[in-house]
Amino acid sequence: MILKPQLKDAKIIGYYLGKVILGLAFTMLLPALLAVAKAEIGPALDFFTSFEISLILGLLLTWACFVEVELNWMQGMIVVSLSWLVAMALGAIPLYLSGHWKSFLDACFDSMSGFATTGLTLAQDLDHLSFAHNLWRHLIMFIGGQGIVIIAISFFVKGFSGAFKMYVGEARDEKILPNVLQTSRFIWLVSITYLVLGTLALGAAGISGGMRPFNAFFHGACVFMAAFDTGGFAPQSQNILYYHSMIFEIITVAIMVLGAINFKLHYHIWMGNRKEIIRNIEMVTLFITIGATFLITAAGLAQANVYPGAVALFRKGFYQLISGHTGTGFQTIYAAQFNLEWSHLALTGVISAMALGGAVCSTTGAIKMLRVGIIFKALAEDIKRIILPEKAIVVQKFHHIKTMFLDDKQVRAALFITLAYIALYGLGTLVGVYYGYPFLNSLFESTSAAANVGLSCGITQAGMPAALKVTYIFQMWAGRLEFMSVFTLIGFFIAVVKGK
Amino acid sequence: MKRLKLPVNIILGICIEVAYALAIILTAFLICLMFYFKR
Repeated sequence: MILKPQLKDAKIIGYYLGKVILGLAFTMLLPALLAVAKAEIGPALDFFTSFEISLILGLLLTWACFVEVELNWMQGMIVVSLSWLVAMALGAIPLYLSGHWKSFLDACFDSMSGFATTGLTLAQDLDHLSFAHNLWRHLIMFIGGQGIVIIAISFFVKGFSGAFKMYVGEARDEKILPNVLQTSRFIWLVSITYLVLGTLALGAAGISGGMRPFNAFFHGACVFMAAFDTGGFAPQSQNILYYHSMIFEIITVAIMVLGAINFKLHYHIWMGNRKEIIRNIEMVTLFITIGATFLITAAGLAQANVYPGAVALFRKGFYQLISGHTGTGFQTIYAAQFNLEWSHLALTGVISAMALGGAVCSTTGAIKMLRVGIIFKALAEDIKRIILPEKAIVVQKFHHIKTMFLDDKQVRAALFITLAYIALYGLGTLVGVYYGYPFLNSLFESTSAAANVGLSCGITQAGMPAALKVTYIFQMWAGRLEFMSVFTLIGFFIAVVKGK
Repeated sequence: MKRLKLPVNIILGICIEVAYALAIILTAFLICLMFYFKR
């Protein structure tokens, strides 16, 4: 029997949702201040308007739904899934007001793409977007990469128990430190440390490439936020191709890989457990899968004789591959080149890389390395059972911070999420094929959306069908949250209708 | 968290992580060279 949710549940959900909205509202002040500093009057008004709407909504919810009760698991999951939808709508307001998006749906698409660190965009005339709007596009990636509720936990949520449920709901099942507040703050410490280093490195590369210092560091900060949070937006419409710099590309590759590392692993390495980087199952699996998928891609590109030189193969072939594997979505080629120049084998290599993703508890999407590693270990265990004598006891171990025995529960959980992702990739592919796009292109774009990558072979444009936009928005949302909080929200609505 | 505040550990940690990223880049470049010389 399903129990009908009570008014009390709605109040608790509303109260915590209000806290998350308040956190989001205050982040809008950053681009507003930049707009004032750069004398961008229109953009400043866009952001102050959006700030006021978000602030009023957040205050109204926290006032009307005021409770002093901690969240239970169901409420925590629903707060998270609703937070991302509300953040999408509120984050889209300044984008829509800028006039660079053809409709509010297009602005919502980019907003969800930003928060979910995907990087697919429907923006028009991106090269003439204001500094403030550009900062906002990249800032929402930085916020979404760490997790929208991480902000609320860091500054607005007092109870640790409720905070932990929201933290888990945001696809972060690994607690780095015993206290979830310390965990959130550590995530910010890593991100801010790399933000400073990455911005300096990219800024210096920009200046050496002839950019003016302010522009170089502004682009450096934006590109860093998109790279470390494996987002994929860039300030210019040509994405990373705009910079025409191998140094810039190598720095962004390094930042993308750093962004694909588990925050828990960052913690242990920063604590002095440096050998973990070569022992950890995720790091080993990431190394192997990058090598394997790049071999497929490079073979496909060599077969089609697309890039005759080793450097060109590296800068074009490997760059798109690593961008896809880490879930970033930076491009150094035009979308049309995937269709016109790349062979099907090369595209298959990139699609496989996109589907796999980076580490769990990182900013990447997709199936993720821990699950891939566990599935391979389980497969190896089964093969050993067949090969070895029947009486032999087969035990499989893996190393993730500590050495653990592989058990059926872990394998089942890994397989469940993997199957859910495959179904999500299939959903977007079916809708794409329904609207007349070729199968491989539909699979490419659908995987890119659901795995929160952002590489595009040209389907994503303002003129694509609205139903496909909505499908991709759903894929980005469900893919980022790793299903559980999305399923809980669906279950909640079913309980509202059918519950007793 | 106390040990974490030691800047040496943090700097060495960052160096190790960057080295891992560079190892991936180097491996990829070697694969590119392999395909180039195979032609």
